[in-house]
Order: sequence, then structure tokens, then C-alpha cells
Amino acid sequence: MIVIIDYGLGNLPSVAGAVEKVGFKPLISNKINDIEKAEKLILPGVGAFADGMKNLRELNLINMLNKIVLKEKKPILGICLGMQLMCKESYEFGHHTGLGWIDASVIRLNPKDKKLRVPHVGWDDLIQVKNSLLFNNIPKDALFYYVHSFHTKCNNKDIIFGECEYEEKFTSVIQQNNIYATQFHPEKSQLHGLNLLKNFLEKG
Amino acid sequence: MLRKRLITVLTFNDGVLFRTKDFIPDYRYTLNFVDAWSVDEIVILDVTRPNQGKRENFYNVVRQFARKCFVPLAVGGGVRTLNDFKTLLGLGADKIIINTEAVKRPEFITEGAKSFGAQCVVVSIDAKKKDDGCYEVFTDFGRRSTGLSPDEWAKKAQEFGAGEIMINSIDKDGSLEGYDLELAKIVSNAVDIPVLICGGAGLWQHFVDGFNKGKASAVCTTNIYHFTESSIKSAKIYLKNNQIDVRI
Repeated sequence: MIVIIDYGLGNLPSVAGAVEKVGFKPLISNKINDIEKAEKLILPGVGAFADGMKNLRELNLINMLNKIVLKEKKPILGICLGMQLMCKESYEFGHHTGLGWIDASVIRLNPKDKKLRVPHVGWDDLIQVKNSLLFNNIPKDALFYYVHSFHTKCNNKDIIFGECEYEEKFTSVIQQNNIYATQFHPEKSQLHGLNLLKNFLEKG
Repeated sequence: MLRKRLITVLTFNDGVLFRTKDFIPDYRYTLNFVDAWSVDEIVILDVTRPNQGKRENFYNVVRQFARKCFVPLAVGGGVRTLNDFKTLLGLGADKIIINTEAVKRPEFITEGAKSFGAQCVVVSIDAKKKDDGCYEVFTDFGRRSTGLSPDEWAKKAQEFGAGEIMINSIDKDGSLEGYDLELAKIVSNAVDIPVLICGGAGLWQHFVDGFNKGKASAVCTTNIYHFTESSIKSAKIYLKNNQIDVRI
């Protein structure tokens, strides 16, 4: 069973639709019972970091997620805010502590060239810096849909599998054992996005 | 490198696709047709006048698009409350477009951005050129004058937390004469967030002008009869041949 974690801040129908499209049956849930039984998890997310953490806390999901992801090592895919929540900390509107699975800080995109507008919205590259099972059947020049003002700055470079460039390079795909994360939205990136999602669901 | 976007805007009256301006029903589209396009993003707007249709009919449209289109979906028309945000996002919208209510109450932008993130809030601005050559913002389907200038309003919307600005020229809408490039440029120059321009595209060259002269991050087209399955790809090839970086 694939569980899409509903913590009140996701574009859940889009993610669920994409999971269905690639042949899996998703369950959108925030119930501990469901999450416990999941084979794989997706942590989607659109919105602000502080709200995301607050909602996870209020739903009493943090301990459960720590156990499932860190101890039981179930595969999990974080998307956009979901990726950012997996980090140690974020500087989005103040300083907030994250789930801390990934040794990284979430900071604002800050290009000096004012022609580069923030949020970074639209189709952009995924530079495949290392081979990942997520990139199976994904051409090197495939484009993905990004929409974000903050990005993940990894302290451990080994976990960076994909990058994108917006004046400076930033991390767009992370892989650390059973933890996978993308800054872009695979569920909104047409064929290549669906393929990436399928790779996670089949091979992750 | 971030690619320039080509966005299709579809307007619905009581759940039926309409061409803007003339308000003629257009039944020539199907969902599969839309999905097959190499369109970068889809905007769907409810233009049903108050009390002239059921909101549920529009919701069904949103639901169907969300299920079938794996590209970003921005939805607007009649969004007045955070509950409207919640409903549309719950149906599968990725971004919400607000207009009249934001003019009435700019803090509505902040409320939306705080609850759902700035990237979720697109402030749409309808503007007309006045006799003295200056632009003015109008609301309520272009009927109500506001006294605001579009560049100042765009700037204020950014300060209140908007993630993107969508600027529509009421004069050019449906004209096929090309975008109001002057309007596009003054608004683009006024803000640091992405600007989507609408109203008037009739030729592929108009897209090129919109990017180069109008400084747009994305160009919108409201007249879908330009876009058969092959023509959107041809439009993008035309853009690429004119040194505009687009996704093909």
C-alpha cells in the first residue's frame, strides 16, 4: 500500500492522480494505523515550512514517521515542501526545526541578477549528478516543474543526486538510503515526472 | 535554465468552455485533447455571473482537469474566502487566482500566502488604457473602476505576499492584435515575482514580443482554437527559433 501523508498542506489529489496513472493504488491518510501498514510513503507538500511542522506535530505523526523511516527504513519520497521538512532546519519566515532526517538547511533562493525572479516557477533542468534508481528512463535533458522560493542546502554532498541552476546550483534530488526527495513536482511534470514517480514506486 | 512558459487559459461559464469576449460556447475541446498538448501550465477560470449557474458545475471541471492533466493547474474566478482556496486546492488546483477580492481587501493575499504559501497565490489584474494614456485597474469583469494604476497595484500585491502576477489587457482581450506590451512591461518592471501576460495573442510572433518586449515570464492565450495538438508544438519551435528558451 502506498500512503500519501495528509498533513493538510499538500496538493493531494494531484499526487494521488499521478500515483494512479502509473499503476498504483494510493491511500491519502493521516492515520497512524494506515501509515504503519504502508509499504511506501509519499510526503507531498505545498505551503509554508512552519505550518507543515506544526500540522505534523498536531497530528502526532512525528514519532511515528521517525520510527518508520529511520528504524524500519521504509522508502519515502518527499516532494517540494515535503523534501524541505525532512531537513534539519529552515529559515523560512524565522528559524524552525524540521524532521532532521537530512543534514541540510532550507534557505531562500537569492539570485543577484534581478531578472531571475523569486519564486522560481516553471520548467527547469534536472542535472543528474549521480546515478539514481529514480532516473531510470529519464533523459538527461528532461525538464521538471519547480515552484519554490526556498531550497535545500546539504551539508553532506554525498546525498545530492540531482541539481538545478538558478544563478547558483541548488539541490533538486536527494537520496539517502530509503529517503528520496525532489524539489520539483514529479506529479506536475508530465511524462518524465510520472516516470520518476513510477521508478520510486517500483524500485525505491 | 528556467524555460519561458506558454499557458493556456480556459474560461468556463457554468461548467461550459467559453471563448472570452464574445462569450460563445466552444464544445470543440475534450480533456484528452488538452492533456496531449505540450502546454506548460493550464489556467481555468470560472466566469459565471453571480446567480447564473451552479458552482458545482465548475468544481466538476476542476476535478476532471486535476485528474487528467499532469501539469500545473491554476484556478480562479469568484474566489473570495480562504474556504474557496481550500475547496479548489482540495479538488486538485495547484495555484489560486484572485482578483476582485484582493483589490477590495489586499490582506486577503497575505491570508492566502500564509495558509498555502506565496507560490499558491496568483494575483490577476485587469487593466484598461484611459483616454489620457495611463492605465487603470478594473474589477468585476472589467466593469468597476478602481482608481489604481496596475504597476503600483502589482507592487503592492507583491508586498502583501503574491507569488505571481497575471496581467490582462481588457482592451486587447480577444482582439488577436497582440499583447499590450507597454502594460506588460510596466507591470513586469514594477515587481520581482513572475509576471504572466494575457489578452490579445493571435500570432506566434506575439508570444516572442511578449517575452522580449513585455518582459513576461509566461505568456497566456485564451483562444484555444489556435491550439490544436500540433500547433502548440509548432508555436514552441517558432519561439525556440527566435531564441526564446521553451520546453519542447
